[in-house]
Amino acid sequence: MHILLVDDETEFLDLMTKRLDRRNFQVSTAANGVDALKVLETTPVDVVVLDVRMPGMDGIETLRRIKALTPATEVILLTGHANMEVALEGMNLGAFDYLLKPVAINDLIFKIQDAAKKSGKTT
Amino acid sequence: MAGFLRALGRLFGGSTPEPASPAELEALRAAYRERCESFRRLLAANNAALDIMASMEEALRGLKPFGMTFVRGQCARVAANVFQIVRQLSLLTHGRYDALFDRLKEIQARIAPHLAPRAGQVRGPLVLPLEQTGVDLADEVGGKVASLGEVARRLGRRIPPGFAVTASGYQRFMAAADLQPEIDRRIQAADASRLDQVFALSSALRTLILAAPLPQDLEQAILAAYRDLEARTHPGVRVALRSSAVGEDALGASFAGQYHTELNVPAEEVLGTYKEIVASKYGVTAMTYRLTRGIPDEDVAMCVGCMAMVGAKAGGVAYSRDPLDIRAGRVVINSVAGLPKAVVDGSFDPDVFVVERGEPLRLARAEIVAKPRKYVCDPAQGIELVDAPEDEAVLPSLSEAQALEVAALAVALEDFYGLPQDLEFALALDGGLVLLQSRPLHRSEAAQAAAQDGPAGPDVLASGGAAASPGVGCGPVFAVRKDADALRFPEGAVLVAAQAHPRWAPLLSRAAAVVCEAGSTAGHLANVAREYGVPALLGVAGALEKLAQAGEVTVDADNRRVHAGRVEALLENRPAPRNLMEGSPVHAALAAACEHIVPLHLVDPDAPEFAPGHCATLHDITRFCHEMSVREMYLAGGEGLEGFSKQLTSGKSRLKYWVIDLEDGFTGPVAGRFVDIGQIASGPMLALWRGMVAVPWAGPPAADAKGFLSIVAGAASNPELDPTMATTFAVKNYFMISKDFCNLQSRFGFHFCTVEAQAGDDPQENYVSFQFKGGAADLMRRVRRARLVAELLEERGFRVEVREDALFARLEGLDRKDTLDRVAVLGYVVIHTRQLDMAMANDGLIASLRDKMDKDLDGLSAAG
Repeated sequence: MHILLVDDETEFLDLMTKRLDRRNFQVSTAANGVDALKVLETTPVDVVVLDVRMPGMDGIETLRRIKALTPATEVILLTGHANMEVALEGMNLGAFDYLLKPVAINDLIFKIQDAAKKSGKTT
Repeated sequence: MAGFLRALGRLFGGSTPEPASPAELEALRAAYRERCESFRRLLAANNAALDIMASMEEALRGLKPFGMTFVRGQCARVAANVFQIVRQLSLLTHGRYDALFDRLKEIQARIAPHLAPRAGQVRGPLVLPLEQTGVDLADEVGGKVASLGEVARRLGRRIPPGFAVTASGYQRFMAAADLQPEIDRRIQAADASRLDQVFALSSALRTLILAAPLPQDLEQAILAAYRDLEARTHPGVRVALRSSAVGEDALGASFAGQYHTELNVPAEEVLGTYKEIVASKYGVTAMTYRLTRGIPDEDVAMCVGCMAMVGAKAGGVAYSRDPLDIRAGRVVINSVAGLPKAVVDGSFDPDVFVVERGEPLRLARAEIVAKPRKYVCDPAQGIELVDAPEDEAVLPSLSEAQALEVAALAVALEDFYGLPQDLEFALALDGGLVLLQSRPLHRSEAAQAAAQDGPAGPDVLASGGAAASPGVGCGPVFAVRKDADALRFPEGAVLVAAQAHPRWAPLLSRAAAVVCEAGSTAGHLANVAREYGVPALLGVAGALEKLAQAGEVTVDADNRRVHAGRVEALLENRPAPRNLMEGSPVHAALAAACEHIVPLHLVDPDAPEFAPGHCATLHDITRFCHEMSVREMYLAGGEGLEGFSKQLTSGKSRLKYWVIDLEDGFTGPVAGRFVDIGQIASGPMLALWRGMVAVPWAGPPAADAKGFLSIVAGAASNPELDPTMATTFAVKNYFMISKDFCNLQSRFGFHFCTVEAQAGDDPQENYVSFQFKGGAADLMRRVRRARLVAELLEERGFRVEVREDALFARLEGLDRKDTLDRVAVLGYVVIHTRQLDMAMANDGLIASLRDKMDKDLDGLSAAG
């Protein structure tokens, strides 16, 4: 299963990549929305884990474009900035779910697996 | 759609003779699987939403502190989960209830205003001369500077010349570096209940602020104000920088010294020191304080007073009333030679002067102690602690005339503000009295008339000292000697330390009592103890040595004694712990948000009001969707989907259980409306069943008369619990299964529960989860039952959370066999905790029930 992590916090990307690697996920990373879209243009990705607040293009706009570019890709929003309005906006745009940092790695993995199931990938 | 439904009917036990093509069949199976997935996701989101609501309700009771990040976080999470529920119901019902999306949005719009930061953007000058400030400008310069300015302006009292960097200046700084969002993010990511995380967070936030550049205009404004101060005093004038926060006096809280003060700062350090003071907003003490008192982080603007340094002969703190006996007419002064810092931070014992009110004021008592050291301005920068000449060390720090002058100032300030005051003063080198700061005195209930005539009690471990905060507290002793000890300070312990150091203030929100060998009742730690209502005894000689290994002790601050063990007689009359959150802005925000989230109005699924239009809260939407999804999946609905679920049989008995097969949960094709337990292939369902039938249920335990009455009362107040009103769904239990998966939704008697388990080949993917809530007895009994079940499950490796009467348990990562064993445990628990709540008044009965359940469960795993 191929996962794309999008977050401007490199520490977070490193930590998550390491942990997901250990669970045999294939992981790509991007530090911002523009780079994330570039990855998606060339690489088939099952699930995107997307930060909401990033410099440049924010997560909601990135989500909108991902859904336009590859509608079958499931997107999990994972944010350090809790905001009810943004949560509903993201869900309304088709986010698979909205999670808050810090998230237990097991909870995130269950969520990724569930999202992958929906995008048609089961292993 | 009609064709689709006919085909479904054929597939699932319908009677239409024409066979479906293989492609048609595959499409139908896929559609069916998708519906099951939707239903499963709906249930998961339903459980998550209820869990979050329970945590919000619990927080409202205010026993644990929480901040706005908690309130915003829970609101966002619950909204996302409710959206998920509505979305999945929409998929299941082909959009029949899509009006719920609009209801959800409307509810969100009603909650939003309560979550917004309250502090408006102020656009005043970035700096203001002290003499131009006053209480009318408290929002611009903070309470401390404002009251100082007021005293100079209106009473003509002497204060040091200086200026304030305003709230506008602070916001300019924060906005220029875009700091607030980053600060919020880091606060959200930290676990505020863990001290080590709070310390790490504090350090990270302060580093962040110190690293941020000051915007040009603010820098220019501060430097210009400093040059102006030089012109009014002398070139190169040293300054003291003091915090003066806006937004923390909302509760009438006066909380001394929680921020940084920097003394004797040279010109070139002013800008850097300004940032340090701003950063001290995120000191551990200050953050803990805001959290415990429910003050939103972003409401607090850090203003900084910058005033010419007063080289002091002597100084200290004066209370216009005795903080331990506010009704008495005494003024209490604590003073030392040199700078007043030693009094504020409790570093050594001060002289105490007690002045009686009256015309004229009269010195009633002077306790002069040896003060072998004192703080002075270092010629280069900062301050230093120096040895006092031997002959000077024993002299009073104030003459009688000076003490009376200080007392007169304290009385004048109290008269002026109409409230008892707590003031810091200095005697300048020219002998004049200078006011450094003044704030309302935190009142403490007067100590009860001490029962000193009674026997001292058998085991007095230590006694003496001064009661800095009244009351009685009990807990295990925890000696704190260094910062590393503080990190490990346990909830409910008695803090024992050498000095009443301000560094220990963050521990007070979790301490049962405080005992220190040194420190004054005027110090910072004493203030915090009074504010938190934590009994404190300071100046108890040898306390560390006498108490460090004492284990549990009872601290009787009123009688200045520490007893071994728990002395119930002393603890009985103790006032209930205060709800520190009650009435705070954060508590109010949560309460207002919960109004639109937690209450449940849709209790009767058969009533005409059970409709999307009547959903006024997120709980209503959740309840409605759950009911509709269950009807959609398990009952013959308007779309004619009978055949989706089958009733479970065991031989010839029809059971009140219905089963949906997600994929491969049956041993083979099953026709008709029934499925026998022998045809079930789902591992987790069989394990659950094994636990459910292992020990016959003896019926509900005999309820005591009160237990029964509490059920009647509970049922009368909640129509959902009235058995005569039970709807057709109330008595059903629903299984959703595949070979390795099982979900059971059930309503046994008065309690609702969910069990979900995945038990396959990959331990990484295996999990068991369980939750239940409800019951008919009163809350106390239901809570006890939840605790009993929690203990049983914790002993068997579950992670368990109990919130009021709700229980959530989870376990993951075990192999198939171990996972199934745990599922069997839950099967037993589901059956045998039925109506247990009724019997939960009697401790003896609880213990014997527990023993029996323990034995049964052990037998269960041996059998498995």
